[in-house]
Amino acid sequence: MSLVNFTTREITCKIVYYGPGRSGKTTNLQYIYGRVPEGRRGRMVSLATQSDRTLFFDFLPIDLGSISGFTTRFQLYTVPGQVYYNATRKLVLQGADGVVFVGDSQARRYDDNVESLQNLQENLLAQGVDIRQLPVVFQYNKQDLPRDLILSPEELDDALNFRGVRSFGADCLHGQGVFETLKGISELVLQRLAAGSPAT
Amino acid sequence: MRTDILSSLESITRVRGVRGAMIVSAEEGLVIAESSMEGIDGAAVAALTAGVVARLARATEAAGRTAPAFVHLRAHGGGLMAVPGQGDLMVVAVTDPEVNVGLVRLELRRAAEHIA
Amino acid sequence: MRVIEPWVAEPLQRFLAESSARVVLLTTASGQVVAQHGFTRALDVMSASALGAAIMASTEELGRLTASGASRSLSHQGPSRGLFLAGFDLPQGRWIGLVVYDRDSSLGLVRLFFDRLVKELRVVAPTETPAREVLAADFENELNASLRSLFGR
Repeated sequence: MSLVNFTTREITCKIVYYGPGRSGKTTNLQYIYGRVPEGRRGRMVSLATQSDRTLFFDFLPIDLGSISGFTTRFQLYTVPGQVYYNATRKLVLQGADGVVFVGDSQARRYDDNVESLQNLQENLLAQGVDIRQLPVVFQYNKQDLPRDLILSPEELDDALNFRGVRSFGADCLHGQGVFETLKGISELVLQRLAAGSPAT
Repeated sequence: MRTDILSSLESITRVRGVRGAMIVSAEEGLVIAESSMEGIDGAAVAALTAGVVARLARATEAAGRTAPAFVHLRAHGGGLMAVPGQGDLMVVAVTDPEVNVGLVRLELRRAAEHIA
Repeated sequence: MRVIEPWVAEPLQRFLAESSARVVLLTTASGQVVAQHGFTRALDVMSASALGAAIMASTEELGRLTASGASRSLSHQGPSRGLFLAGFDLPQGRWIGLVVYDRDSSLGLVRLFFDRLVKELRVVAPTETPAREVLAADFENELNASLRSLFGR
């Protein structure tokens, strides 16, 4: 849950990038890390295997500056996408203020997307969180691949985005859609905070 | 627990006026073995005594002397004695005010040699 | 030293003085920073708290899986500095303490005074936090400006 310090007027929110393996969660963070000025981001922590697959999580803190007089910081996390690492996914999800579901647009990864979304719902439910109550946005990555290999954002919305929340087509490797996605989830998380949801 | 360690501690606690004895990891300030009467917080005694002895050792070394071979802290209700052993180990006794300091020191040194 | 909740300050100050610890970080179980001493960059504090929370969470989960019970604390001794991590419960929920100490202290001293810190926090912790207004309704413009400047747009 968001942490609000009324004395020093600081807000810290936790955002988790979720999705199937190799969908581009880490690439989102790497792009953000590369674009954000050094003074406004922390070190990017990556707990990865030797083959660069995320083992536990990636972590990147960023400083959004002052919003409504509060210094606002976001903690961006990714989870390991491989099915094998569900225990660590659950741990990283704890206390999330918002989730970015990073789907892989390739048609052959359709089932993986569905499975990962179901897994997200289950893991949230196990923590007593109803996904419908949590700020979530969808990002459909790899939209730059040839059209015959991928599904369009509309098709992916039909398959995954039942609630009709905000979704973004993206090509994370080149940064397309990364900023829009972060903006989308940031707005939802802060709107929830402004609406007076409990903050600890 | 190794019986030789226990018997070393018993030799110390057999001395009249000794309320507790323990073997302590000097670097970590943790209890390795203990034989103490009720009311003595062994973990606290170990941590604080190891801290004091480490600082005293630094003081004597800064003065160009070797680290102390025996430390005796006297308080109103009794005292603390410590003898650093080989390596990381230290033997500590908690005593009443009226205790034969020489005898306790002898037993502490014996214990320190024995457990090395 | 920086603290989110003023009631944490005094016990934490005492802990620092008594244990001679170099760095202290108190976080929630999900890795949100509650108080810190010894870090210079706020963003580094967040990385440390994320890693500390992850270590505690995975150790506790491992304890449950192997039926060895939830771990209360763990420690790591480096060549010159030691690291102590412990979880504890307050009315506010589960918190985690991360302490770094050097040769001026020891694991025993840190453990001893950390236990005292937890006891003191339990005594002074408020059981209820009044709801307070956080953000103005029109925060979006500022958020957009912040994000644009962040991405150089």
